[in-house]
Amino acid sequence: MDPITFSIIRHRLFRVVDEAVITLKHVSGSAITNEGHDLMVSLYRADGSLLMGGVGFLHHLTSAAEACKAIIRRFKGQINEGDVYLLNDPYTAALHTSDIYLVAPIHHEGRLVAWSACFVHVYDIGAMNPGGFSPDSQDIYTEGISSPGLKLVDRGELRQDVLDTLLNMVRNPEMVTLDIRSMIACNNVAADRMLALIRKYGYPTVDEACATLIEQSEKLLRARLAELPDGQWQSRQYMDVKGETAKVCLTMTKKDDTLTFDFTGSSPQSRYALNCTRWASLGGLFAPLFPLLCYDITWNEGVIRPITMIAPEGSIVNCTRPAPVSVATVGAIQSVNNAACATIGKMLAASEKYRKEATTVWHANHFAIFMFGRNQRGGQSIGILTETFAGAGGARTFADGVDVGGEIPNPISRMANVETMESIFPLRYLFRRRLTDSGGPGRYRGGLGMEIAITPHDAPDGGLHYVVSGKGAKYSMSEGLGGGYPGAPNRYVWVHNDETGERNADPSFALSLEDMPGRTEDISWGVFPLMGKDALYVAWNGGGGFGDPLERDPEQVQVDVESRFVTREAARSVYGVVTDAGGIVDLAATKRLRAEMRGARMERRAAE
Amino acid sequence: MKEKTRRYIVATDVGGTCTDTIVFAEGEPVHIGKALSTPPNFGEGVINSVRSCAATMGLSIEELFRQTQLFVHGSTVVDNTVLTRDGAVTGLVTTAGFEDTLLVTRGAYGRWAGLPEDEIKHPVMTERAAPLVPADRICGVAERMDYKGAVVRELDEAATEKALRHLVDKKGVEAIAVCFLWSVFNPAHERRVRDILRRVNPAVFVTLSSEIAPVPGEYERTSTTVINAYAGRITQSYLNGLQSLLSGAGYSGPVMIMQGYGGLLPAKEASERAVGLIECGPAAGVIGAKFLGEIMGDKDIIAADMGGTTFKVGVIQDGEIEYAREPMVDRFHYVAPKIEVVSIGAGGGSIVSLDPKTNTPLVGPRSAGARPGPVCYGQGGTEPTLTDVLLLIGYMDPNTFLGGSIKLDVENARRVFKSKIADPLGMPVEEAAFGIYRVACAQITDLIHEITVERGLDPRDFVLHAFGGTCGLLCGVFGQELSVRRVVVPYTASVNCAFGLVAADIVHEYSATKVLPAPTPAAEINAIYAPMIERAKRELASEGFAADRIQLNWSVDFRYSRQVHEVTTPVRAATPLDEAGVKRLMDDFEALYERKYGRGSAYRDAGMEMTSFRLTARGLMARPSIEKEKLGGAAPDGARMGRRKVFVDAANGMAEAEIYDFTKLAPGNVMRGPAVIHTPITTIVLQARQTGRMDAYRNIVIEFAG
Repeated sequence: MDPITFSIIRHRLFRVVDEAVITLKHVSGSAITNEGHDLMVSLYRADGSLLMGGVGFLHHLTSAAEACKAIIRRFKGQINEGDVYLLNDPYTAALHTSDIYLVAPIHHEGRLVAWSACFVHVYDIGAMNPGGFSPDSQDIYTEGISSPGLKLVDRGELRQDVLDTLLNMVRNPEMVTLDIRSMIACNNVAADRMLALIRKYGYPTVDEACATLIEQSEKLLRARLAELPDGQWQSRQYMDVKGETAKVCLTMTKKDDTLTFDFTGSSPQSRYALNCTRWASLGGLFAPLFPLLCYDITWNEGVIRPITMIAPEGSIVNCTRPAPVSVATVGAIQSVNNAACATIGKMLAASEKYRKEATTVWHANHFAIFMFGRNQRGGQSIGILTETFAGAGGARTFADGVDVGGEIPNPISRMANVETMESIFPLRYLFRRRLTDSGGPGRYRGGLGMEIAITPHDAPDGGLHYVVSGKGAKYSMSEGLGGGYPGAPNRYVWVHNDETGERNADPSFALSLEDMPGRTEDISWGVFPLMGKDALYVAWNGGGGFGDPLERDPEQVQVDVESRFVTREAARSVYGVVTDAGGIVDLAATKRLRAEMRGARMERRAAE
Repeated sequence: MKEKTRRYIVATDVGGTCTDTIVFAEGEPVHIGKALSTPPNFGEGVINSVRSCAATMGLSIEELFRQTQLFVHGSTVVDNTVLTRDGAVTGLVTTAGFEDTLLVTRGAYGRWAGLPEDEIKHPVMTERAAPLVPADRICGVAERMDYKGAVVRELDEAATEKALRHLVDKKGVEAIAVCFLWSVFNPAHERRVRDILRRVNPAVFVTLSSEIAPVPGEYERTSTTVINAYAGRITQSYLNGLQSLLSGAGYSGPVMIMQGYGGLLPAKEASERAVGLIECGPAAGVIGAKFLGEIMGDKDIIAADMGGTTFKVGVIQDGEIEYAREPMVDRFHYVAPKIEVVSIGAGGGSIVSLDPKTNTPLVGPRSAGARPGPVCYGQGGTEPTLTDVLLLIGYMDPNTFLGGSIKLDVENARRVFKSKIADPLGMPVEEAAFGIYRVACAQITDLIHEITVERGLDPRDFVLHAFGGTCGLLCGVFGQELSVRRVVVPYTASVNCAFGLVAADIVHEYSATKVLPAPTPAAEINAIYAPMIERAKRELASEGFAADRIQLNWSVDFRYSRQVHEVTTPVRAATPLDEAGVKRLMDDFEALYERKYGRGSAYRDAGMEMTSFRLTARGLMARPSIEKEKLGGAAPDGARMGRRKVFVDAANGMAEAEIYDFTKLAPGNVMRGPAVIHTPITTIVLQARQTGRMDAYRNIVIEFAG
């Protein structure tokens, strides 16, 4: 096809998605959508295959394609112009119930020509715990409303009875209404702009450009894969919940111009809600694949074709109904993200041409704490601590990871200001800062994570409650690469200060966890109170390191120590760098120590 | 007060390449001057530019200044200081426990904000910009306010003094930024830090967040405070230096400085608010468009400016200007009222390339800049640019470029374009070039569409103003594609920012932050405004404005409870407010919210809050009326320069078109496309089935048939 017209249509398809995203954020107006960018908008072909993926939470791009296909199957013969469908059943296509898909057909002169789909994490879904994550749910039935496909708008008319039924089952129906309205508006904008494009260039031309775009992406990814070495790479992720450990095992095989992701060996499905369904796993592996392998390729069906996934049925990455999945997005799916990032990184690092594109695992572990309760103005608030979006960058083959640099599967997230959080919730932050020694050691260090502490302030009920689904406190999840170490694990601490006796002490101005005099209790899973003068301390993982830490430039380690990114202790024991009392590197002593440490490694190896 | 002899207003805008001057006087045509900018001593270029304008009037610069009542100025000094990292050694004092606020930039936000989409999709290659204040010059001191401004913990004064001495003595800082949590609602601790610093070392420049950016949101507030401290001294010395250059040339009147929000401030006041100067040039451009729109009776305007490297666009709706939500300078966020001007890397120097893998043509984002520039400039450029494309399709004239001062090398441009673009595409040169031209126009169409949609607007309701050296060559195409009502290429298109300086008023912005439910009794709102009004009147009076030249406008920031979008809602009812006025204000907010965020987004059930109370105090400047000329006949015969082959459309390819000399056109003349109009500085292209008319102000108005 004419390359000029193709170039113009391609550019416009990108803008269609952008404009739909703007609409979604505008109408929703919620913090999780606007700050966390916990959303997605994409365009799909008439058969439901991905045409143009937008920048949002990327593990939704393929799942929403499946949602379109599920609607096509279910409503065959009844899909009309102006319809909008709702789908959020994880066993049909969705990731978990609180990420609601709204998918809408786009008709041109009576013919179905495309689909648009979007999601936001809705304010509430009527599950056992507020906010969407229910760590102690036993099965899908306790995880709120779940629909395998519902006609919400019929030929342009909102089915108020259907919407009212949904709203009748959620906390804060007003906020959920706005979320739903934002998704309807978003699909409308996508349809309007898509139709304007078709009117200008004619359906056959646009259709041909779309088909070409998909073929082109497939050709480009296959060509890239062909340039990379054949081989197998593995990654293993451990998730600890209440003393039990579940693992996600991945073997990625690259052969010629194809990639196979095989999850054989992963744990059986868990009784805890961190499981995920097959579609979720597929989305989970594509989320890092798009930005790591397809940074210059349009994200569409063509990228999907060279990829195969094997996920054993009944396992934690392909659970069977009615296993609970409400924590999936920060549970098994995130482990799939991490494992795929790790294996792709290993493959890229094995290629001279693509070595610079390799990265270790970024932000491996969302802590996704939802607060709920009465706020300082007397109203009920539910909301996420948006710090969960402030992950750490993984180390690259040429540079350290970006401290608090975000995450790969959601390229444009951010966290809210302390002043925003303190005005929404009856809370006061004691500190919010980068976490020393959290970045995975390596020749290039993983980016640092953070630590925060919060305590109730002006709470009419004396405090709040929160839902925490925090695996990753026992095992590090942000894997390193090329001899680099993983980032530090997460930590969740309940600091008790209301108790009588000697331990009762006011933590109001503590500037570190060590400063807090009360009894501390490590927690990770369930619903907990934050009352009185208690505090909640959360520390989260840094990115993985790249290369042997004994090869890190000692001067750089000195800078890290001066900046309190690395303790003197870790500089010595992990990096083999000796500093004097003034913090200056002793090069001779460093050389000796590093030689000793290498020797000890050899001995250990021999002993094994 | 105004002497007859002092009738001129001189406005000079410093841009990246050129420094433009406009001289205005009642009953005279507009005079235009231009000179090259002279970094790093921009003052020199200012004097050169004024001198060149004086020369066109047959005056020396001293003679011009002797008759000048006002000098208005726009400068890039602050933008440059930040871009070149040339500011003061700066320290930051903040609340203990939150020392990293500036450095972690709300997480990934500082890593991706301001990057184009192709870089955002490639996260492995992205970095956060190095901060203006590194970690070792950030000191946390014990103190704490809560969300109401209540003191939770007193300021530790001894620790404060120790921190300040450390920064000044050990770290050698020349400027200090102070930003505490919630200082917006209680600035006492920040002020106390300044008092202590005056004792420690009164020579150190200091900026308090509660004064420079009194809005909640500690990351953006801290960043603003730091930028101001960092660029403060340089701004002061630049403005002082300028004033002495001006007085050396015989000018002793007032000097007014343009602000990013589109108003003027006296030089002395401007020198204390460096962040106010950021992007004031483009802001002046929007003000200029608004002024021109007022003259022509248009209230809805898309102001597009395209030069050598960037395409900038601002929007005026119903005579109101849109302010930026999350402004940035370089890659740093700041909060200050600033006119929204969106830019992309598209200009005459944008490099045209083919994606090596897919053969898809791309325009930009790389630019050949001024050096080596386009191939046709013959300065060593080897990559084809948009300018080369415009030459190949006959839109630019190789012989009349910049008044004939540079002869363009068509043959070389053709040879390079053929081998790098046309041959790989398998297309004839002119056809391929026209295709690239369409791609560039389509990208601009998409950008304008996106930013109007973002504001809930429809481009079809707007008039497009096209400024800058390159815009006139493309505006007919993208204007028609957007279906704007018409396109105006103003007479002052090449010096639009300077034109905007003349059109601006003195504007002081005041605000008070307080969260109140809506409705709140009117008396309570009036009480918030009373001290601001008193201060505004006092300040404007001291600047010489009589009561009848002072205009006070109230506006209130509203939001729905638990929603993140705030909408600044102008108060249209009589002030001070009564209860009916408060109700009207709430209704206006809802209407604005729906217009901006779409039907169905307004949601009264969620409850409403007022978060910020703003006062815009305007000292109205005497504005000379622009001379309106008599319209003559439609036939532009006197301006015909002959005919030339230009690319007309896909069906007709290269065909003869009429060429006109702008300087010989008379008001009332009508040209029919396809046609090309050459002005001394730029070129205007009329596409087939478009007409161009010279109006009574010598603007070219392009309309589309059918």
